Amino acid sequence: MADTMLKMKDVSKIYVLGNQKNARKAQKAIHNLSKKYIRFTKKGNKTEAAKAEKFIAKAQRLFTEEKYEQSYQSITGRKIKPKSGKGSVVHALNGVSLEIKAGELVAIMGPSGSGKSTLLNMLGILDQPTSGQIHIDSSDVTATKGRNLPGLRSKKLGFVFQSFNLVPTLTALENVMLPLKYKGLHLRTRKKQARDALETVGLGDRLDHKPAELSGGQQQRVAIARSIVSNPAIILADELTGELDSKMTEEVMRLVLKLNKAGQTFIIVTHNPDVAKLCRRIIYMKDGRIEKETKNSR
Amino acid sequence: MREIIKNMFRRKGRTVLTVFGITIGIFAFTVMGSMAEKISLLVSGGTEFYSDKVTISQSDSLFLSGPMNVNKAAEIEKVDGVKAVSASVFTSLSKTFDAVSFGPPASITGEQLENRELESFKITYSSGRQIEEGDRGKVVIGADLVKKLDAKVGSNVKIRDKDYEVVGIMEKTLTAPDNSVVMTLPDVQEIYFGELPEIVQSQSKPSEVVNGFTVYPNEGVDPNQLAAKIDNEVSDISAFGPQDFQDQIASATGIFNAILFGVALISLIVGGLSVINTMTMSISERTKEIGIKKAVGAKTKNILGEYLAEAGLIGLFGGLLGWGLGALTVFFVNSATESSGNQIFLLSARISVFAIIFATVLGVLAGFYPAYRATRINIVKALREE
Repeated sequence: MADTMLKMKDVSKIYVLGNQKNARKAQKAIHNLSKKYIRFTKKGNKTEAAKAEKFIAKAQRLFTEEKYEQSYQSITGRKIKPKSGKGSVVHALNGVSLEIKAGELVAIMGPSGSGKSTLLNMLGILDQPTSGQIHIDSSDVTATKGRNLPGLRSKKLGFVFQSFNLVPTLTALENVMLPLKYKGLHLRTRKKQARDALETVGLGDRLDHKPAELSGGQQQRVAIARSIVSNPAIILADELTGELDSKMTEEVMRLVLKLNKAGQTFIIVTHNPDVAKLCRRIIYMKDGRIEKETKNSR
Repeated sequence: MREIIKNMFRRKGRTVLTVFGITIGIFAFTVMGSMAEKISLLVSGGTEFYSDKVTISQSDSLFLSGPMNVNKAAEIEKVDGVKAVSASVFTSLSKTFDAVSFGPPASITGEQLENRELESFKITYSSGRQIEEGDRGKVVIGADLVKKLDAKVGSNVKIRDKDYEVVGIMEKTLTAPDNSVVMTLPDVQEIYFGELPEIVQSQSKPSEVVNGFTVYPNEGVDPNQLAAKIDNEVSDISAFGPQDFQDQIASATGIFNAILFGVALISLIVGGLSVINTMTMSISERTKEIGIKKAVGAKTKNILGEYLAEAGLIGLFGGLLGWGLGALTVFFVNSATESSGNQIFLLSARISVFAIIFATVLGVLAGFYPAYRATRINIVKALREE
């Protein structure tokens, strides 16, 4: 069977918005303890790890019940004065576990606010989970130090965003060269690899065009070229067809299927059932949890 | 690199204004610095010149002497520690002293030539030769006076309504001799004598009157102590050692230089602040772009480097432009005043190099805070921005 490319275990993410001091404190305490838990498991210190796990579970339960003061106290043992702030607490993810193997084409669907984008941000190491563990291609992301994250990101992951997110002042070729630049490759190698990637997506004749001179579908293909150029383990796509009409959507999805056939792992967040239909595995999310999973036999 | 320059001029007007801010600062620095440089070279030339001798004046000022009898030399020679004494005359080139003058005014000097080999301050000649005994009616011209007097070796120049033959032109020394005409002692004595009040004239002859002596000490004798000793033992004169020159001139010009540099530095600080402002604006405009770059793997040092380089370039451009304008100003003002023999600027290599490096470093330092803020941008928030 294929290798596991991505593994998520009990990943939760809580956003504290506005002025909610106690919630923020409790959230921080949970986050710190879950880092500690990861360290204990790594060292093989089972008794400490089990103890930490129990505390985290308890604190999280209290947190979900909006008893932030007790949640904080259950971890640190210190009391804090109850304060009611104006902000609110959002449980974007509630204990998501997920495993994705090499060469899979996975769609994540769900209504707005179901936690899809947050999940993608976690997967893309753009944001840190409040608790839980994430492994990408055998690297433990949650245990990696902050300053090593950019390196991990550029080695393992490619991104395609809804609004293309190309740098407007750079040409197609320069945009595709960008990830390679941060890998410290030689200019000539960078140019060659970027040109190859653009040819793969069928834009070999548009190298010197600026994003504004390309159609939406072409811009998204440039973005895909940028994501594949550094040979990532996984490509994460956030609503990659969200701003495209049906013809361009087809054009872009044909490219995704072609790359997937060649062995590239994709995770696509989408609203569009037509896009999801093309994927072998569809994960439905609701209220920060995985609601159900279906498999397409294509 | 190309990207950084492109980024810089994405907002042309704003960048150009910021570059101008630095330009003004560096312009002020270059011009003021050149002025200070000229003075400090004059002073250091003077310091060198006066370092190993004692100068005798009739009055309490080193530079405004009155008439003395040449026989005083014999009296001074008797003081213990004196090796030799040369009488000299120093007067201004024009009949009336220039009312306002920067540095020493153009002058005529002449001295006894017997002890010339004792002089440590050597002068070289760009053409012709030095003045010799018996060169009556002949002159050597300082480098800065060539234009003013329209001098060429072999031709005649008019000084105080009298023609003299030019026998030599001095190489530029960057200090006092550039601005002087050297004659034989009897020739200057004649001119000087004509300036004296009739009552003095009636009591002496031109060949008896001088207004300065240069005293060369014996080896191992401190000129400062010798000056004090001469002051004690010889009446009606004042003796000045190297320290007196320092006290009278060097310390005063030090303050002047500090003021000049202070003015220039303040304008640079203002320029630096405008770089901070511009870069902060640029970065908040490019939040999304920075988010993209971070998402595709840019490390903190990449982002920091990009923006520091941009700020440094603004500084460098401003520096080059400011230095260029300053150099032009110095050049034009100097050539305009060249005919009067009184140049007030000296744009030295060290001022130039310092100005440009300083502008660049200033840009980088000013860019540091905005660039640091760029590295702290939250990727998720940046990418959501429209």
